[in-house]
Amino acid sequence: MQKERLNNLFETFDPAIRNIILGVLDIEQEHISMERPRVKDQIDEIVTAAAKKEVERLSVEEPS
Amino acid sequence: MKLERITIENFRQYCGKQRVEFAKDDQKRVTVIHGINGAGKTSFFLSINWCLYGKSVENIKVIDNVGELMSKEAVNLAAVGETIRTSVDLSFLHNGDRYLVKRILHGVKQEDGTVRVEDTDTFTMMRTKADGQAERVNNPIGTMNSILPANVREYFLFDGEKIDNFAKPEAAAQVKQAIYLVLKLEILERARRHLEGLASDYRRELKNKSGQQLRDLLEQEEHARTEIKKAKERAIELHEEIESAERKIADIDKRLREMENTNILQQQRDRIEKELKQRRIEMEEIVNSVRDLATAGYFVVAEEPIKKAIQLLEDKRARGEIPSDYRQQFIKDLISKMVCVCGRPFTDGSEEHRTLLAKISHGLPDALQDEVLNTCAVLHAFEQRTEKHRAEVDAFMRRRSELIDIIRSLEAELDDVSRQLKGSPLEEISRLERQRENFKTDIQENNIEIGSLHTRIDDFTRKLTDLKKEIDRARRDEKRETLLSTKLDLAQRSTDAIGEMYQTFADDMREKIQDKTKEIFKKLVWKESHFQDVKLGPDFNLEVIDRYGYSARPELSAGERQVLSLSFIMAMSRISDEEAPLVMDTPFGRLSSHHRNAISEHLPVLASQLVLFVTDEELRDEARQNLEARIGAEYRLEFNSKTSCTEIIPLR
Amino acid sequence: MDIPASRDTVTIDESVHYIYKDLTVGTDPVTVPFKTMKDVFLWAVALGYKRGERRPITGKKVTIFRWAQFGPQTDIPVLRAITLADMNDISLLLSQEETLNVIEEYANAGIHDLRAKLIDETGQPLWNLQALL
Repeated sequence: MQKERLNNLFETFDPAIRNIILGVLDIEQEHISMERPRVKDQIDEIVTAAAKKEVERLSVEEPS
Repeated sequence: MKLERITIENFRQYCGKQRVEFAKDDQKRVTVIHGINGAGKTSFFLSINWCLYGKSVENIKVIDNVGELMSKEAVNLAAVGETIRTSVDLSFLHNGDRYLVKRILHGVKQEDGTVRVEDTDTFTMMRTKADGQAERVNNPIGTMNSILPANVREYFLFDGEKIDNFAKPEAAAQVKQAIYLVLKLEILERARRHLEGLASDYRRELKNKSGQQLRDLLEQEEHARTEIKKAKERAIELHEEIESAERKIADIDKRLREMENTNILQQQRDRIEKELKQRRIEMEEIVNSVRDLATAGYFVVAEEPIKKAIQLLEDKRARGEIPSDYRQQFIKDLISKMVCVCGRPFTDGSEEHRTLLAKISHGLPDALQDEVLNTCAVLHAFEQRTEKHRAEVDAFMRRRSELIDIIRSLEAELDDVSRQLKGSPLEEISRLERQRENFKTDIQENNIEIGSLHTRIDDFTRKLTDLKKEIDRARRDEKRETLLSTKLDLAQRSTDAIGEMYQTFADDMREKIQDKTKEIFKKLVWKESHFQDVKLGPDFNLEVIDRYGYSARPELSAGERQVLSLSFIMAMSRISDEEAPLVMDTPFGRLSSHHRNAISEHLPVLASQLVLFVTDEELRDEARQNLEARIGAEYRLEFNSKTSCTEIIPLR
Repeated sequence: MDIPASRDTVTIDESVHYIYKDLTVGTDPVTVPFKTMKDVFLWAVALGYKRGERRPITGKKVTIFRWAQFGPQTDIPVLRAITLADMNDISLLLSQEETLNVIEEYANAGIHDLRAKLIDETGQPLWNLQALL
């Protein structure tokens, strides 16, 4: 239920943004019991993957 | 999360292995565990906590004194040196999978009667999927965090002693914390913070790069191309000039040939130039030949090692290690036919036989022998080859010398002819000759310039190759830069999105909790007409508002405060999507009977699974009746004062 | 013939790569006498032996050509001879790896001599080279 709520919370945003946020939320949930979790690398991975897709998407649309 | 079964072994006053099956039906979802004070309710409650979370999880202390975890009776019964085992198994369902969590602690009985407990317990988590396959879960803490994190457990595995915590005036921080954690506001906040941190890292990284680099390289490339183009164009120009000059010279030559006074000289010149051309071609060929011979002639310099190698090989041969005349196989053949090289038969054991055998046994492996023989033969030939090579080169060099002289003398002859023509008394002739000379000079100069242009073109072409590599590298960097700036953009926008929606979400959650708390509180409290509202303000103070609009908190009885707290807990349970069981340790202990009755009526509906540890006092009469229909499992904890052990006795 | 498989690349030290390039890049045979890196290498080996110095390669290694480029009539026998003269062990005739080690080290020393004699000396490189014969 809560997860659904969070999904819907960001539905007005770009799907790339939404996916990043939801992915990051999952990671944060996994580490919630830690006070200072080391999640930076994992989050960077998510952002990088999303960015790569974006770059590809844009380069396909660009006239060569 | 739905609890299925727990098996407790030697945990506090639970001796041996004891088991409880939890009620988990939709209809019958309440498990009641009776016990008088001291019978073991708290220990049981603790066992669930310990099993899931251990003695401390990430700075959150779950169990205060692990030394007292092991059953004293079990320790007593154990022999010195014997290992005692304390363990708790818990199986539960979550999202269609079955999990089995097990925590084991070992201790060794000491001579003085105490037990030396090992430092760490063993924790395993298995998951059985719908298809029946069981697998070990590699990240148990992360998994527990997705199911029921340690820092929200107190809202679900609920210690009745703390029941009125949330309704206390100073409880705002706790209330906030509870909501943050249970309703995932905390994870939103963390997500925002971390994304923001990443965004600023990306920004810093991006600043350090310079897009300037690629631009410079491309400029350099363009420059190189332009220079090459210019050089080529100039070379063409020069060639054309040369051709034109040559034509003019040809015209002059023709003229001079035709004129009576000059035709002999001109013919002479024609002849000399023809020969000169041939000589020059020959010279070029010689240079090429010398070049080929010289570059291939390194072996000439290797006379010494060749000699030395031959010596070494000969040595080996002399010592009979290499058959000089025939190969081993040949020898073997001879022996098998018992025939000597010359065709004479010999007998077994004869002189010849022994010689041949010796030759085999001193020999080397065939492959090596072949190599040796080949190499030896080839190396021998080098002496001759060296001589021949040197002779060839010398011949060419001598010819070159000759040619240099010949060419020089031819050129001198040409100069002579030219001088004669220039010195002619006839003006036209000297003029023509001088012109001719100028043209020749022009051609020479042009050729020199063409030579340097070619060098320039070569240099720039090589530079282009280098530049291309650098440009490709810079392009790749730039691509990474585009990726980086996209990452920055996405990270920043994600941060902003969360920032934008967070407050909305937080307010929404707060309101939902508020409304639900109010709803539950109303149901549970009889003085509802006194209370107008339940408010959970932005400061996270849980307030009850009387009908005059003022905070009614001071007027709340202890019991009412407790119910408010409980209402809050239950509201959170409903609103969050932790399908988590409510495990309550003596929840009714301090409530009035009215409240007890009210709660027992509504409680089962508010939780998807309920486990109640109660004293008989707590659950009586109406309260009992209210729960009756929902009770799916019931146990009694019986404490045996002799053994100091508690036995779990199933009642239904 | 069973020669054990081993590496077949001929390597030089990165730091002398420029000498090889200087001696092979260009069209004029008088100033740039060598056509291939192999030719330069063989001269470097011969001069290295003449100098009596083996210099192990300490820097990054660059492959400039493959063993298969060596001609069987001249190159292989001479290289074998040099290896034999150096190591005094005829079993080396079967080891390509050992031969490579030896000649690469000689080349690593000899290349400097080659440069000195051809480029540093007065006169055109081709004639300087010819004078060495």
